[in-house]
Amino acid sequence: MSPLGVGVSAFWEGLVAGHSAIRAIEGFDAADLVPGMAAEVDAAVADEPDRAGGFALLAAEEALGDAVLALADVDPARLGVALGTTLGGMRIFEAWDAAVAAGSARPADLPRVPYFGPAVRLAQVVGACGPVATPQLACASGTHAVAIAAEWIRTGQADVVLAGGTDLLCRFVVAGFNCLRATAPAARPFDRDREGLVLGEGAAVVVVESEDHARRRGGRVQARILGTGAAGDAVHMTAPDREGRGAARAMQAALRAAGRTPGDVDFVSAHGTGTIYNDAMEAAALGRVFAGRRVPVNSIKGAIGHTLGAAGAFEAVLCVQVLNANVVPPTAGLLHPDPACAGLDLVYGAARAFDVATVLSTSSGFAGANAALLLGRA
Amino acid sequence: MNTAIAITGTGSTTASGLDAALDALPPPVRARALRVEAISQLVLAAAGAALADADLASADAPPRLDVGVVLGTGVGCFLTNATFQRRFASGGVAAASPRLFAATVSNAAAGELGIAWRLGGPTVTLSAGAASGLAAIGHAAALLDAGEAVAMVAGGMDAAGTALDTWLADGGLPGGIEIAGAAGVLVLETMEAASARGRRVLGTITGHATGFSARGVVATIGRALAAADVVPRDVALVVSGGGTLPADVLGSLGLPEMSTHDAANTFAAAGPLGVMAALAKAPIDAPVLVVGCCPSGHVAALVVRRGGAS
Repeated sequence: MSPLGVGVSAFWEGLVAGHSAIRAIEGFDAADLVPGMAAEVDAAVADEPDRAGGFALLAAEEALGDAVLALADVDPARLGVALGTTLGGMRIFEAWDAAVAAGSARPADLPRVPYFGPAVRLAQVVGACGPVATPQLACASGTHAVAIAAEWIRTGQADVVLAGGTDLLCRFVVAGFNCLRATAPAARPFDRDREGLVLGEGAAVVVVESEDHARRRGGRVQARILGTGAAGDAVHMTAPDREGRGAARAMQAALRAAGRTPGDVDFVSAHGTGTIYNDAMEAAALGRVFAGRRVPVNSIKGAIGHTLGAAGAFEAVLCVQVLNANVVPPTAGLLHPDPACAGLDLVYGAARAFDVATVLSTSSGFAGANAALLLGRA
Repeated sequence: MNTAIAITGTGSTTASGLDAALDALPPPVRARALRVEAISQLVLAAAGAALADADLASADAPPRLDVGVVLGTGVGCFLTNATFQRRFASGGVAAASPRLFAATVSNAAAGELGIAWRLGGPTVTLSAGAASGLAAIGHAAALLDAGEAVAMVAGGMDAAGTALDTWLADGGLPGGIEIAGAAGVLVLETMEAASARGRRVLGTITGHATGFSARGVVATIGRALAAADVVPRDVALVVSGGGTLPADVLGSLGLPEMSTHDAANTFAAAGPLGVMAALAKAPIDAPVLVVGCCPSGHVAALVVRRGGAS
């Protein structure tokens, strides 16, 4: 469920066409929020207080349909949910805070406020009795959700895991990023004129399944998780390590876990927020990993904004599409590549078609969080 | 699990003991701890004690890129969110605090810990209700088992305060529970790493699993025991890692009755504190099951043995 439209097709086709869903905020009163731009999901989608939970349910339903996987065919004790988020039920939280301040009746659904709220709701709906967790790696949460799903499969904890991320826009988050001076009216990842990020919302979910389970039921494998990695910057709470060491370690860990080398990677889905420091950090990190090799790189945040805890999950969906279509969408918003990022083969202007067998997704977040996924062709 | 994971250090803090615990930290870590939110203070204090117990890291030593952090939290930065939101809602945009907003991510405590002790390995925070701490320890053990690090600082924490009390009283969690602020942290190492350092092994983790819902409790315990290659009749002790199990679960599995260790509900810290209780009172080398079960539906189980044999 992305700002580009309902479903993976709308997401993918919008990305390939180079569209951007960034507009003035309409979903709530943002008159005092400057900048007041964001990439919102259509207001009619998951029109409820627990919007992040609603997004996740819709994304999971589509993922299960795409996998042609009937829940009745999965042992509930071996069905898991790994769903990252940074905001969870924050709109309910805002309403609760206002009610407490006013001494008025509290809103319903207070148990959906905690960060684990969307994962619990999804687990209850699908009847999962296997592992259920909410990875909290700030803007790398969705990436690590897929990683932990792979761990549960690998260690025999589950056969099937619904993995991804969900987040929503609200006054709390827009005001927060604005006061950090991290936001800008337009998202221009890796552009010389970039000024900051633009927030987005939505949910992305992938079905992670053991190969045996998929084979037994005749499921179509769309991609393989080859390796995952995580690392902490251990440098600063909000600013990335200028030298990109933590992000590089996460990517290198994913390659090492997969037994692959940087030379095997055909495409990198970058975090690419459009902030001055993030994009410079990523250029440094990719320089460390690829040591001069100019691997094709893009960012989807110019198209759907920074969806925070869902960002890495959207990238996982992107990577699966890239592996199957052999097409890399352009980086929306990128017009003039930053000379400081000259080491990157940035895909911009138009989609690029070429043979893609192995893709790397990298994500970073507050508190020095870094996570990476290496995915391969089915 | 492929191999047992060594526990080489433990540390815990409660809200009432926080000041004394902070005073025991090395000066640069203490200085950092005094500037951060309550949940991060609890973790810095508990982790400082655990790292000292394990003699693993030093705040002024070169960064340890092979040592990571996995923490679990049930309600995370709820108190910080509440403070930020109240100021913003009442004072407008000008009152939105960048310092507070930076701490409104639930992985802030893990980030502070990594920065304070210069730990650059895998750094993860999980939220799984009251089972968060046990889930974090299990994830840390899996990362060690997979060779992603040689040591991990792992545990759970939740901070308590007025806003959280109000939310709980309003029905924020099923069951009408109250939460007492606390943190419990373990230092985990591969057996090879602990042996190479000549460290005393307090205990070992031989199996773990997580699950969901009352219907998932039996299967979760079964997976943890299977991973440890232990059958129920060999389990010497079952220790509470938080919450309440369905009444008939342990008996139906042929397991001993639950041993409780702490009257207060420390939520995500309850699991690590349960492991510490097991290390304190279990027979040497006998399998002990630590189980956490949250009203949210989250379940986690860990099999530990006191002492160094696996």
